[in-house]
Amino acid sequence: MARYGMALNYKNCINCRACETACKEENGVLLGRDNYRIWVGVKEAEGEFPNISIMSQVYHPSQCQHCDNAPCQQVCPTNATYYDENHVVRVNPTKCILCTYCINACPYDARYVDNRTVTVDKCNFCSDTRLANGETTTACQATCPTKVRVFGDLDDPKSEISQLLATKEYRRVKEHLGTEPKLFYIL
Amino acid sequence: MKVEISRRRFLQGSVAMSIAGGVTLSSSSVIASAASSANVKLGNEEKNVATLCEMCVNKCAAIAHVRNGVVTKLDPNPLFPKSRNMLCARGNAGVQALYDPDRIKYPLIRDGEKGSGKFKRVSWNEAFAYIEEKLTKILEEEKDNRSTVAFCAGEGMAEHTFKNFFTGFGSAHFLNHASLCLATTVSGYALTIGGYGQADLDNAKYVIMAGANRAEAIVTPDTMDFFKRTSGRGAKLIVVDPRFTNTAAKSDKWLGINVGTDLAFVLALTYVAIKEERYNKAFVEAYFADFADYKNHVLNNNYTPEWAEKITGIKAADIYEVARDFMAHAPQAIYYQGRRTTWSKNDFQLRRAQAIFTALAGSIDVKGGICFGKSLPLIPHEAAAPLYAQAQARIEKGEAAVVGGSGSWVAFRNMVVEGRSPYPIRALFNYKHNPMQNMPNNKKTEEFLKKLDLVVTIDTMPSDTVMLSDVILPECTYLERTDPVVSYGGIEPSIAQRNKVVDPMFESKPVMDIMRGLSAKLSKPLFEITKKYDEDVKMAIEDGSEEEVYQEYDLTKAFAQSQEELNEHAVSKYEGAAEILKTKGVFYPEMNEYFKKTGVNDYEYYPENKRYYSVLKTKFNTPSKKIECNLDALTKRGIDAMPTWKKEYEMDIPEGKFRFITGRHAQFTQSGTSNNKMLLDLVPQNYAWINKRVANKLGIKFGDTIEVSSKVGKATIKAYPTEKIGPNTLFFIHGFGVYSSALTLAHNNGGNDSSIIEDSIEPMHGASCLHDTLVDIRKV
Repeated sequence: MARYGMALNYKNCINCRACETACKEENGVLLGRDNYRIWVGVKEAEGEFPNISIMSQVYHPSQCQHCDNAPCQQVCPTNATYYDENHVVRVNPTKCILCTYCINACPYDARYVDNRTVTVDKCNFCSDTRLANGETTTACQATCPTKVRVFGDLDDPKSEISQLLATKEYRRVKEHLGTEPKLFYIL
Repeated sequence: MKVEISRRRFLQGSVAMSIAGGVTLSSSSVIASAASSANVKLGNEEKNVATLCEMCVNKCAAIAHVRNGVVTKLDPNPLFPKSRNMLCARGNAGVQALYDPDRIKYPLIRDGEKGSGKFKRVSWNEAFAYIEEKLTKILEEEKDNRSTVAFCAGEGMAEHTFKNFFTGFGSAHFLNHASLCLATTVSGYALTIGGYGQADLDNAKYVIMAGANRAEAIVTPDTMDFFKRTSGRGAKLIVVDPRFTNTAAKSDKWLGINVGTDLAFVLALTYVAIKEERYNKAFVEAYFADFADYKNHVLNNNYTPEWAEKITGIKAADIYEVARDFMAHAPQAIYYQGRRTTWSKNDFQLRRAQAIFTALAGSIDVKGGICFGKSLPLIPHEAAAPLYAQAQARIEKGEAAVVGGSGSWVAFRNMVVEGRSPYPIRALFNYKHNPMQNMPNNKKTEEFLKKLDLVVTIDTMPSDTVMLSDVILPECTYLERTDPVVSYGGIEPSIAQRNKVVDPMFESKPVMDIMRGLSAKLSKPLFEITKKYDEDVKMAIEDGSEEEVYQEYDLTKAFAQSQEELNEHAVSKYEGAAEILKTKGVFYPEMNEYFKKTGVNDYEYYPENKRYYSVLKTKFNTPSKKIECNLDALTKRGIDAMPTWKKEYEMDIPEGKFRFITGRHAQFTQSGTSNNKMLLDLVPQNYAWINKRVANKLGIKFGDTIEVSSKVGKATIKAYPTEKIGPNTLFFIHGFGVYSSALTLAHNNGGNDSSIIEDSIEPMHGASCLHDTLVDIRKV
C-alpha cells in the first residue's frame, strides 16, 4: 500500500526520448508514431537568429499524471478505469468498451487506443510489468541518461521523492482544474 | 522536432483502425501474442545476460532480458562507471536491430551487374571458395603485392579481430573512420597536451562546447554527468554552434558562429587571456614550452575580439566576456575537445588552439578540467605480423603531412578513382563499414567500389556499400556474440565485456568465426603465391624448412581460440575478473568495496578520494614533456607550427547559396540505425533546416520538398524552416536517404548528405572536411 507519484527534474531533460522507447519495449506498446504512453513536449524556440530565447526552448517530459481526482476515472461508464491499492490510475482491459469518454475528459492528453488489447490505455507506472516483479523504478526512470524522474511513495516520509518535494520548489500541470496530479515538476 | 497533434483530434481514425488491424508489434508484444496463440507451445525460460550496447560507439552496459530465447527488453546495467546506469533511445531500440526483418541472413554472391542488387544465396563454403579463387588470381597477377588488397572497418569491439586478419595478410592499406571522424581532434590534443583526455564534466564549472552537441550526440559519461548541472545548477555552459541545438537549449549563452570560423574565435579568446594577463601564470611558467613564442604570435597578429567579430559573426563584447569568465573559473574551466568530424581545412590547428587555451587556465590533469585518468591494462592478444617483401607502401602517404595507420579514406579512394595510384588496387575487405554513406561524394565511392575486382563485405544490414559488393558475409548482431573484452581508462577506470545474449539467427556468425573460416581457406593458397614471388621467403625456405617458414605466415593462428578463451586470458591478471565479466559484464579491482547505491537513480563507483583526476604529477606525454605551443618540426611538412588564421579560411557565401553543415540527432547513429522501426517512430525522416525568413522569401513551407545541390551531386529532402539556423547555412542530419532497396524503411527516406558534400581534405592527416561545401536549393 503506497501512494505513488513521480518528481521530474525536467531541467535535466535533453529530449533524447530514451524514455519513450523504454516504455514501448517494457509495456508492449505497439510500434507506430501514434502509439505512446509517454512523450517529451517541445515547442519551437522563440526569437530570430541569432537571438534565440534559451528559456523558450523547454523540454517537457510527460505522461499520465495519476491524478488523485482523475476526470478519466469519473467519466468511465464501466469502471474500467480505477484506482489500484497504490493510488495508481489503472485500466482494466476486460471492462473497457472503447467509448473514449476518458480520452476527451483527460486534460493532459495522456490516453491512447491500444490496438493490441483494444483498450484506451495509458501509463500505469509500469505497475504490471515492473513493480509486480519487484522492481522499484519505472522503465522511463531507469533508462533516462540524465535521470529526470524520481518515482516513489508520497506517503513514505523517508522516500527520496518525499524528501525532494519537501526541499525543492515544484509545480504541477493544470493544477487549477482540481485534478490533484501526482507528477511534480522540480523548478 | 515534433509536430504536436492532439490525439483527441485523431480519435475517430484511431478507433476505426483498431478494428482494421494491421499493426506492427514491438518485441514484447510479439512474445505476448506468441504465448497466447494456441498452436505455439512455449516453455517459460527466463534469463538475464549482462552485455554491452553497440547501437553507437559508447558501449553502454546493458542487461538483456530473454524469455524463451527471445530478447524482450534491454535495461541499463548500473555497474558500468562509463555509462552510469542508462540506455538511450537507440540502446532501447537494439531489440529492433536484432529482429529487423531486413537483416542479411545468408552468405550471398553477386549475380548480376555490380550495383544491380542481384545476389544469389550460397553456403559459407561456396562464399569462401569464391573469395579464394578471386584473391589468388589477383595476388598472382600482382606478384604477391599484398597492398593491392585494402581493408576497411567500422568502429566496434570486434574491429580488433578483423584487424588481426589484415595484419596477417600483410597489406599496407587499413582504412577506418578516423579520417572521416576525429583524427584531427585526437592528434591536435595529443601533440599539444599529450592526450585527448577525458573532460571532467562532473566537476567542471565553466564549459565551452563548440560544435560538440552532447545533448544529441550522446557521449558517456559526459552527457550523463553534465546536464544534471546546467541551467544554473553548478556548471556554466557556453555553446558555440551555427545551429541552436538541444545542447544550446541547456546553455547559459549560445553564440551562433559563422561556419568554419571557430579558430578565429579561439584565437581571440586566447588574445584576451594573454593581453589582460588573466591566464594561470604559475601553470604556464611551470608546464609550457615556448609560451613566449605563442604569446608574441597571438599579440603580434592582433587576434583581437574586434578582429574576430568580423570573421565569426560573434560580438567582440561576447568574446571578452567568455574569455574573462573562463579564466575566472580556472582551473575548472574546459574548452570541450569535441569529437565528431573534421569541419574545415584548419581543423588540426583549431584543436591545438583549444587545447592551448584550456591549458592557459591550468585546467589539465586536474579535477574539473581535462583529465587523463588511469588505465587497467589487459594482456594483449598476440597475432603474427609477417613481412611480405613484395608488399608496397601505402599509396596515399604523400597526400597529407602525416598519414597514419588508419589512412586517409578520401585521398585513398580518389587516387584509385582518378587513376593516380602507383600500382593497382584490386580488392577490398570491408567489416561493418559503409563508405557509400560515410564518405563525401558518394558518386566517387560508387565508382571506386565498381572498379575493384573483389569487394567482400561483412555486415548485419544490406547497406548501400553491401549492395555494391561481390561477396556478402552475414555477421550476427551484437546481441548474438561475445566480443573482445575492453578496458576503459579514465577518472573511474573499468573493464567491460559484451556477452552473447542469444544464438546467432539465420546463418549469421560472429566476425571471429568468419575470420576463422576464411583464414583456414586462404592461408595455404596465399602462401603458395608468396613462395613464388617473395625472395626473402624463398631464401628462408632454402635455409630452413618450408614448414618452419609457414608458421610465421599461418593466417589461422590468430583465430585458433574462441573469443571466450581469449577474454579469459586477457584479464587473467585480475583475480576473479573473467567470471565477474561473464555474469556482471563489468569489472574493476575494487568494485566489491567501492560500488554503492546512493539514491533511487544514483550509484557511486569510486569514492571521491580514489578517483584518478590528477595522475601526471608534472610530466606531460609530449616530446618536451610540456604543453607544446610551437611545433616547429611540422613546418617541414608544410603545417603551421602555431595555430594561425589565414585569409583563405574565409569562405564567401554568394547571395542565394548556403554553406552546408551536417550532424546528428540523439535518435540515430549515422546510417547504421536508418532502418530501425522503433527509432523511425521518433523521427520519421531527416529535414533540411533553413532559416525561416529566408524560406518565407523563397516560398518554402514546412514539409515542402526541396532539392539541395552542390558541385558534386544532389539530394531531395523536406524543409524545416526555423530561426535556429542562420540565413546562409543549411543543415540536415547524416545517415538518411539510403539508396539500398533492401532496407525497406530506410530506402529513399529523407536526404543523403554524402551525395552533396564535396570531398576536400585537410593538410595534416588527410581528414575529410565536412563543412566546406556550398549548396543551392530549389523547391520541387
